[in-house]
Amino acid sequence: MERKICKILKNENLSGNYYFLILENNFKKIFKPGNFIHIKIGNNFLRRPFSIALFDREKIGIIYKVVGKGTDELRKKKKGEFLDILGPCGNFFPIYKNKKVCIIGGGTGIAPLIFLSKVLKKYGNDVYFFYGARDKNLIFFKLLLTGINYIFSTDNGSYGKKGNIFDVFKNFEENFQVIYGAGPEILLKKLSIYSENIPVYISVENYMACGMGLCYGCVIRIRKNNGYEYKRVCKDGPVFKASEIIWD
Amino acid sequence: MGLNLEITLGKIKLNSPLILCSGIFGFGNENIKFIDERKIGAIVTKTITYEPWPGNPQPRIYETNYGMINRIGLQNPGVFYFMRNIFPKLRKKYKRVFVSISGRSEKEFVEIIKIVSKKRIDAIELNLSCPNFENEKKMISQSSELTFKIVKSVKNETDIPVIVKLTPNVTEIKEIAISAEEGGADILSLINTIKGLAVDFKKMRVIDGGLSGPSIKPVGLKCVYDVYKVVNIPIIGMGGITCGLDAIEYFLVGASAIGIGSGFYSNPQIIDDIYKTLKNFLRKNKFKSIREMIGLLNEKKENF
Repeated sequence: MERKICKILKNENLSGNYYFLILENNFKKIFKPGNFIHIKIGNNFLRRPFSIALFDREKIGIIYKVVGKGTDELRKKKKGEFLDILGPCGNFFPIYKNKKVCIIGGGTGIAPLIFLSKVLKKYGNDVYFFYGARDKNLIFFKLLLTGINYIFSTDNGSYGKKGNIFDVFKNFEENFQVIYGAGPEILLKKLSIYSENIPVYISVENYMACGMGLCYGCVIRIRKNNGYEYKRVCKDGPVFKASEIIWD
Repeated sequence: MGLNLEITLGKIKLNSPLILCSGIFGFGNENIKFIDERKIGAIVTKTITYEPWPGNPQPRIYETNYGMINRIGLQNPGVFYFMRNIFPKLRKKYKRVFVSISGRSEKEFVEIIKIVSKKRIDAIELNLSCPNFENEKKMISQSSELTFKIVKSVKNETDIPVIVKLTPNVTEIKEIAISAEEGGADILSLINTIKGLAVDFKKMRVIDGGLSGPSIKPVGLKCVYDVYKVVNIPIIGMGGITCGLDAIEYFLVGASAIGIGSGFYSNPQIIDDIYKTLKNFLRKNKFKSIREMIGLLNEKKENF
């Protein structure tokens, strides 16, 4: 993990409360899909974790939703300003080769999945990306990549199939060899059902303090023998096998 | 000639007055980035109990204005696992290791002390003040009698220096500090977190725990200021330190060393920053050592 002061290259509204932030990449480490960065924003005491949506030699990109004081301050940051960043944090999605894979997500959960889809494609996988949103406006078309099979759904039917993305996925007639998910907890819970037969990897979210595995603030319950143990989302995660998680 | 920041805490010599607080840096075996071990005096482990403790269910943390509330609940693998699997790594990595312990009963404290005393530990810190732990509906360090009793029985079991960490959640901290000293405490740590509550209305729940961060610094300073007057043992001052000037304030009111806590989460390079500020401050003010500024803005009471 490194700490860098990164220049903002772009901080633009995607639509609604969703924003796309691009930072100059001055990290030495290579980031992997599933990794996150921990950003210090203004005078807020704790940093804020964000999944990586875009990564190359020059740039690091995140998608964020304005939900509180921290993200509202982030929204106001201008191109050319600097941010104090820790990264790469956390683990990452395991990358398979030459498989038929499903990626499914919604909301800001889309962020790590965009980065993931790029890498999976590179490794010869046949990638199906199930993308759920409330409305057509909340599908970020400009961030999508070529060579990936996208299947969309919107709650109001304004684009793709009408309804929940999980239902669309459930009725889809393809046999996948691996499933990757991120987004609303209810979706992730439902995906766990498939983990009996095939690997299901999901990225989970939680409030965090340190972001480096020290404070034990972000733990979730993970199956152990007949009981459970608390594992840290920031260090042991954020990617877990869906079958391991005990949902509250 | 380079200034050095050496200090002594009772019989313990430290390279630096900066101490990594309990609960902030894990158990110490983690590969913590951003910390130059040469610039710290000692690390205090996350609190160890006799049996493994799972810790509290979520929610465990929440940000507040200029601080955070935590209710981790002493998640730890128990003293046997700790001493066998974690302590050896910790011992290799840090020059001075202080082990924080807590117990549900006097007997548990004594049992843990017997186990940890077999290894080379530089000091034991008694966590008598974790606000996340219900010990007969009261923390030990909220009672002079209980504090005296536990410290005394621990001291009877070990020759290792004993640090007593106190809660600020009391009517008069001076009385508790005196009891700890009378029980045989070698050093005091002031302060643990302050009881606090946050409301997470997005999830419609409360986070009832211990407040830390810059918002508690005035409380920490006041406790150190008051206690310094009435005890003759050294004090490790902590609570809300985020920069070198905060550390200097603690020294001036009576702390012999200072603890770095959740400020590390905000600024992981806090150790380097404080270390540098301290050196510059000593040089500028022609102090030869940290010792010369301890208690400069305070005085001991003759008859208390």
